[in-house]
Amino acid sequence: MWRHQRVLWWMFGTNLVLALFSAMPMASRVSKVAEHSLQSQRLVEGFDLAAFVELTSNPDVGFWSKTADSLWYSLIFFVFAMFLCGGILETYRTDRKLPTAEFFHACGMYFWRWARLCVFFLIVITPVCLLASGIYQWSDKLSEDAAPEMLGFWVEVVGMLLVVLLMMAVRLWFDMAQICAVAENERSMRRSLVNAFRLTRHNFGLLFWLYFRISALAWIALGATWWIWLRLPSPRIGTTFFLFEVLLAFWLGTRLWQRAAETLWYERYGEIHASELAGVEGTAARPGAWTAETLPASPLQ
Amino acid sequence: MAVTFPAPPVGCKLRGLVPKLNLGKALLLLVAGAITAAQAQTPASKPLSERVVAYEIDGRFDAQKMVLEGTETLTYHNLTGQPLDTFPFHLYLNAFQPTSTFMREVRRDSSDFEWKDKYSASIKIKSLEVVGFGDLTSQMRFIAPDDGNAEDRTVFEVKLPRTIAPGDSVQFKIAFVDHFGEVFARTGYKRDFIMGAQWFPKVGVWWHSKWNCHQFHSSTEFFADFGTFDVKLTLPQNEIVGASGEEISAVNNKDGTKTVTFRGEDIHDFAWTAQPGYRVVEDSFTGSMGPVRIRMLMQPGHMNSAPRYMQALKGTMDLFDRWYGPYPYKQITVVDPPHGGDRAGGMEYPQLFTGDTAWYLPKGLRLPEDVVEHEFAHQYWYGMVATNEFEEAWLDEGINSYTEGKIMTKLYGPHAFVDLAGGTIGMHDLERYQYRNAADKDPMSKAAYDYMSFSSYGNITYGKTATVLTTLEKVIGEDTMQRALRTYFERYRFKHPTGEDFLNTVEEVSGQNLRWYYDQAVFGTKVLDYEISRVRSDRVDWYRENPAKEEKGKTVYRSEVLVHRKGDFTFPLEVLIKFDDGEQVREHWDGQDRWVRYTYQKKAKVISAEVDPEHAIWLDKDFFNNSYAEEDIGKGARSKLVTYWMFFTQLLAQCLAWLV
Repeated sequence: MWRHQRVLWWMFGTNLVLALFSAMPMASRVSKVAEHSLQSQRLVEGFDLAAFVELTSNPDVGFWSKTADSLWYSLIFFVFAMFLCGGILETYRTDRKLPTAEFFHACGMYFWRWARLCVFFLIVITPVCLLASGIYQWSDKLSEDAAPEMLGFWVEVVGMLLVVLLMMAVRLWFDMAQICAVAENERSMRRSLVNAFRLTRHNFGLLFWLYFRISALAWIALGATWWIWLRLPSPRIGTTFFLFEVLLAFWLGTRLWQRAAETLWYERYGEIHASELAGVEGTAARPGAWTAETLPASPLQ
Repeated sequence: MAVTFPAPPVGCKLRGLVPKLNLGKALLLLVAGAITAAQAQTPASKPLSERVVAYEIDGRFDAQKMVLEGTETLTYHNLTGQPLDTFPFHLYLNAFQPTSTFMREVRRDSSDFEWKDKYSASIKIKSLEVVGFGDLTSQMRFIAPDDGNAEDRTVFEVKLPRTIAPGDSVQFKIAFVDHFGEVFARTGYKRDFIMGAQWFPKVGVWWHSKWNCHQFHSSTEFFADFGTFDVKLTLPQNEIVGASGEEISAVNNKDGTKTVTFRGEDIHDFAWTAQPGYRVVEDSFTGSMGPVRIRMLMQPGHMNSAPRYMQALKGTMDLFDRWYGPYPYKQITVVDPPHGGDRAGGMEYPQLFTGDTAWYLPKGLRLPEDVVEHEFAHQYWYGMVATNEFEEAWLDEGINSYTEGKIMTKLYGPHAFVDLAGGTIGMHDLERYQYRNAADKDPMSKAAYDYMSFSSYGNITYGKTATVLTTLEKVIGEDTMQRALRTYFERYRFKHPTGEDFLNTVEEVSGQNLRWYYDQAVFGTKVLDYEISRVRSDRVDWYRENPAKEEKGKTVYRSEVLVHRKGDFTFPLEVLIKFDDGEQVREHWDGQDRWVRYTYQKKAKVISAEVDPEHAIWLDKDFFNNSYAEEDIGKGARSKLVTYWMFFTQLLAQCLAWLV
């Protein structure tokens, strides 16, 4: 992933610029009210929540009514990420710097396939979301009614951890489907999904561990950022901005790292097993599974 | 298990201030101590209040069925000065029925509220006998004096065959059955926890030449006469019990139950609680009327909140004792409701109140402390100064919120309510936030059941009243305000004062006619908002074609500051104008006109102008327009908000991108 860090910086730059665009109208409206007001100091020296609420509820600022702007710019980034995905995977697959035309050709070629895949993803993820909602309601009820006071809380913690792991597993599968599609120039996303499912299922432990470790790094980074932020003097806004952006770049980086690692794994070992699985599925005992002898070196290295 | 805690930091701070003692001073102190002790004991030996009622209640509580069967003997002393033949009674527990006025109002104010059978509670009168008149059960008649709801069963009246002469007494013997529901508001059960409040038939108050006995509304609390309560509760032996008053005895019965006897004097309500799992924490506080036993009934999972409760309680008791007057009772009981039962939390009863906490509350979020402060303070503003909570709720909740702000700020500093992860909220800010939410909806003086909505009731009664009184400090001074409250407390404790009594006391102590303020703030809905509308410094030689280069300290400017009254509320205020040569000018404006313009001709430019520079006019609805600074002083705030906003947007975008 790091060899192709250009991709990361482009994505991060776009993420940053879009957020900047979404913040500009808000900054302008805040300026109208706070620019020359001594009261605004209460948001600089510390963060006075009462002053914040007063400022944001001011009709001239209309802060909360404009949160939809944020969503729109996030949606643009979503489409942009979907568009870029084909080019990124092609870059990781070929492991070379693609010429711009080739990169964007790959981006355009796979865009509608990813859109279809996204619909499948939403269908698959819906039961997981329903499960999350059920766990939430159940834990809420336990928090009210169960005699052990913390039972509801722990049910929620364990339940949500389960949901996160399930979502990660689904993401792993769909990422593999994208890799298969790019590697085999597969047009049918249903076929890609089936192939990716077989491949993922037979190598689930290894692949999931791969994903899990990278995700854990992202969560550790979030915790560390929180820890540092709490200790930063409040008026150090520039440092706060830098800290937040480093975290966001790191998060984006870990996501791309997951994709790169999975692509690399597929390129080294998965392609062979994909064809094996397609040929012998159901006849041999887990033919695509790694044994102690054939266990590959981690693509993380 | 009993746990004791060291004295709060308030006492520790005073240690270094105690002067050295010599023999002469010691003798003087001994004599003074003896006199004080004698004075302290005197009020306890004679009634503190005009005891209108004497309740003797004997209740048997079935903890499995959550049912209490009771008998009540009420002796009513007719001190009204006129003959009485009709007596109204509250049956508060009947509010928890779907057709009651209480529930109608709950549904009106939150349309998504759904009735559940588990909320159902009731109190039924099995028989009512009046000594000398026989059984009058058949004479009972439900009435609905506030809204005429024929299905409301929260008030009944009984007419006696003969009148009770002034000075005479009448004795009612009532047998009743309580069915408690899962706690919905203040009273009821949650698992094995029970809060027995508003649980017995309670006579109305003869007030202003008529009976005052309102139906129970979703936004109203209570009003009752002072008297004595002798209460016997029989319940399973494993129950740990707490109640108003003081425990006199506890006797184990052969059937596995125990009978606990309590007596409360000079109080106007009686509540009790029981739960087998309570952890008992005990300590004491010594005020100017001697030691007070503190008994806290904690949930096992909330023991980490016990020191927080205790520190807040002792700190509050100390400041109340010094600022407003003594706490005359010998005990205070703090009840910590269990998780899921917090609808019983944050409620006051004489000599007992309920707290509110959770196992996860961080120290920087001072909700447990705030609730303890607020509910203990009700021992003064409700418990002793027993105002009519139905008709003038601002007198108890509002004055209490005001003193809550003062006490919490004194105990925990300017960010008393929240000081967590960089975010802060002070007490006055919290109150002002409530006020701003409903600034022009209702006047404070409205009856509690007559507000536009429950939200308006809460925001005005608590938030606006506190903000109005905090702003009043600007007019009469903080010390005068404290003296006024002390005078009000001393004059009206164990009485039923009105809003006018309070307002007149403040006028009397301050020596000022404050009607101009009361009319707008208390009886009106006007909104206060002053702004610095324009600040401008212009060279006096602006008309010259080629003026000399500007030089600081030499060029003469004509500056103007325009102050605008945006709201209808008029209030005298000060304006602070700062110039770039360091000079400051303070202007006083009576605030009557719509605007005022100040002009200056100086060798300096105006760099800032600010209305109310001391930030004492908390009623001002918009603080952001109170000042104008020439430089872009809001840059830091804007940058911070942009940073947070961008972080949020970028994170949201990355989460969405995860879907593909």
